[in-house]
Amino acid sequence: MSTTMQEAKMADNSHGGVQVRSATAIGAARIAISDLDFYYGAHKALKAINLNLPDKQVTGMIGPSGCGKSTLLRVLNRMYDLYPGQRAEGKAMMDGQNIVDPATDLNALRARIGMVFQKPTPFPMSIYENIAFGVKLHEKLSKAAMDERVEWSLSRAALWGEVKDRLNSPAMGMSGGQQQRLCIARTIAVRPEVILLDEPTSALDPISTLKIEELIDELKNDFTIAIVTHNMQQAARCADQVAFFYLGEMVEVGPAEQIFTAPKEKRTQEYVTGRFG
Amino acid sequence: MSATIAVSGTVPGAAKNIAASVQLGRSRHRTNTVVKSLCVLATALGLIFLASILFTLIVRGFGGLSTTVFTKSTLPPGSHGGLLNAIIGSLIQTCIGTLLGTPIGLMVGTYLSEYASGSKLGDSVRFVSDVLLSAPSILIGLFVYALMVAPFGGFSGIAGCVALAVIVIPIVVRTTEDMLRLIPVALREAAVALGAPKWKMIVMVCYPAAKQGIVTGILLAVARVAGETAPLLFTSLGNLNWSVSLAKPMASLPVTIYQYAGSAFEDWVQLAWVGALLITFGVLAINIAARLVLRVGK
Amino acid sequence: MPEHLVKSYDTELNRLRAMMSEMGGIVENQVALASQAILQRDSEAATQAVAEDPRVDALERDIEQFVVRILALRQPMAADLRFIVASMKMTGDLERIGDYATNAAKRSIVLSQFALPFSLAGLANMFRLVQAQLKSIIDAVGAGDTDMAIEVWRSDQAIDDVYNGIFRELITYMMEDPRNITPCTHLLFIAKNLERIGDHATNIAETVYYAVRGEVIPDARPKGDNSPYAVVRPQE
Repeated sequence: MSTTMQEAKMADNSHGGVQVRSATAIGAARIAISDLDFYYGAHKALKAINLNLPDKQVTGMIGPSGCGKSTLLRVLNRMYDLYPGQRAEGKAMMDGQNIVDPATDLNALRARIGMVFQKPTPFPMSIYENIAFGVKLHEKLSKAAMDERVEWSLSRAALWGEVKDRLNSPAMGMSGGQQQRLCIARTIAVRPEVILLDEPTSALDPISTLKIEELIDELKNDFTIAIVTHNMQQAARCADQVAFFYLGEMVEVGPAEQIFTAPKEKRTQEYVTGRFG
Repeated sequence: MSATIAVSGTVPGAAKNIAASVQLGRSRHRTNTVVKSLCVLATALGLIFLASILFTLIVRGFGGLSTTVFTKSTLPPGSHGGLLNAIIGSLIQTCIGTLLGTPIGLMVGTYLSEYASGSKLGDSVRFVSDVLLSAPSILIGLFVYALMVAPFGGFSGIAGCVALAVIVIPIVVRTTEDMLRLIPVALREAAVALGAPKWKMIVMVCYPAAKQGIVTGILLAVARVAGETAPLLFTSLGNLNWSVSLAKPMASLPVTIYQYAGSAFEDWVQLAWVGALLITFGVLAINIAARLVLRVGK
Repeated sequence: MPEHLVKSYDTELNRLRAMMSEMGGIVENQVALASQAILQRDSEAATQAVAEDPRVDALERDIEQFVVRILALRQPMAADLRFIVASMKMTGDLERIGDYATNAAKRSIVLSQFALPFSLAGLANMFRLVQAQLKSIIDAVGAGDTDMAIEVWRSDQAIDDVYNGIFRELITYMMEDPRNITPCTHLLFIAKNLERIGDHATNIAETVYYAVRGEVIPDARPKGDNSPYAVVRPQE
């Protein structure tokens, strides 16, 4: 898979500098969503969604508030199971297994599909323990192996250098941007295959935001990423593929370049140009 | 497109009148002054009573304070007795009562906050717990009397402990539930999103996050039961002799105060004042500790 | 399309549109003046055409700065982005068209000193075609009319054909009489200028098509200027 992808990238790059971004061909699906409906009680919040999350690429989800993009993210790791009255119907296939099937082992699923939330949510414990918390749920590691895993995940989240001398101090004492990177580190420490990011920078300042975006760029080498964002420029910067949602429907999906330069649907056009009425 | 309301140009209503605004401002200022004075007055009234109680307590209590209070048990009038048996009895009953009531309260509070949202059982448990919270404590004493004293044919320290535990439970239930509910949904979801089962989420994330609030609640419960007299009258009864046996009647400060304060002997009355002073400062210390715990967390 | 939620954004886009059409109008007029200067030997028109050039250059700079400003402040997307970037490109094309018209007008002053022993019917025809082309494309820009843009794009072939004819014709005149060399060389450059104006019009057509549709014109255009390969030999 990865070799063909790289070949495709190289072949496309040879077209010349202009189309570098669109060269990222949308690859094979890691998660394939088909005819997915979602209900909050009687309210149908997602209507017949069809969308693929391509392997090791970033899928951006945009749309006005209440359009269902966050809901879709919460379907993918079954976060809705916490709340009675919420249910999903349809298919979201990962490795031949339907994520929304009630028989799915939720904890195992969540180990494979991690999620980072809008506001940084460090646990009330030390930085080290924050990382170890998730790891301990799924693996039994020796102290040395755990140290290694903590360092690895903090390094991947570009946080190691900033916190290596205070791993045992409370995570609450970090800045907002650091806390959010800690949350990302905590998620990747579990070694998921898919990372869901629900407006991960909406509570952060611009510099912290750029650091997270750089991190996303870096992480997509190893993880399949889905990011919900209200910031269109952010979707444009981060995502390979962008899906536009409106009133519970997925209106359009395509390469980021296409969605932001030449969307096919009128509603997408009106939304991305700031004409929504 | 969106609804078009003419937003430019004149503001609806009469033209702006600076003089009228100033007039309005003055009358508001007067009302403000009156209300503020009334509030200050009410506060002062409350504080005066509180201060006079404390003052009386300190003046009368310190007068009788001596080492014998802590070294000797209660003795017949005129024989220079102390309060040792009452102090130790109070400590034992308060500690055991708290130890019995806290885990139950914690678990019920957790159940109400985490598992019972919207369920009928949860609502009824919460209702009963709230009723218990405001029930007269003498009723609780009678309840334990019927449960543990009458069937076994005697007052006992352990019955006092149980009575105090029954008082502790609803307080801890309420604070635990309230504190757990204050934890942001995002924090719970973050734990669950890592693949944590619900109980681990509660024990490893929610409890630490709610720790200060819960501990404060427990300390307040301790302060409350340390001063209770009524539930002990029917359960541990009081004991003029030295006894730490839970199977026998046990002395306690509030009951001793109750008995001594109404007596005709001057030295007993004096000891009652000392006991009241001790309880008051003990409770005060616990309250201050509770606040410190809260502050350290922030 | 509906209005933007931010009204001042619409105001800016409309101003950009107005600047573009103003520039288009000036350039169209320049070409008309050049035509009059050459075909009617009207030196007054030539002077006017040349005098317009600084205005065109200034407008080009204004539009470029305005576009950069909008890009920086509004971060346009999709149709807006394409229109704004297209404006930047088209303003460059228009400026070149203005330059070619000015250049042609300047040459008319030299030309007027020569008596020409042949007709300028071919060149007049070319002027007609180019002016029609220019008018169509400027209208297409204003209306966002891709059909008209495609028409302009295809009809460039006709201009190229006329140009190739004129090229051969002028070389023949020069071979007949060396005294024709000076005016014919100027006429050659004028014809070349017109041919380039046609090319820029097709550039604009491509840009308009992309700005409106979001995709490039589907088929490849035949390149019609054969003059680089033209060889005219004296008859043996």
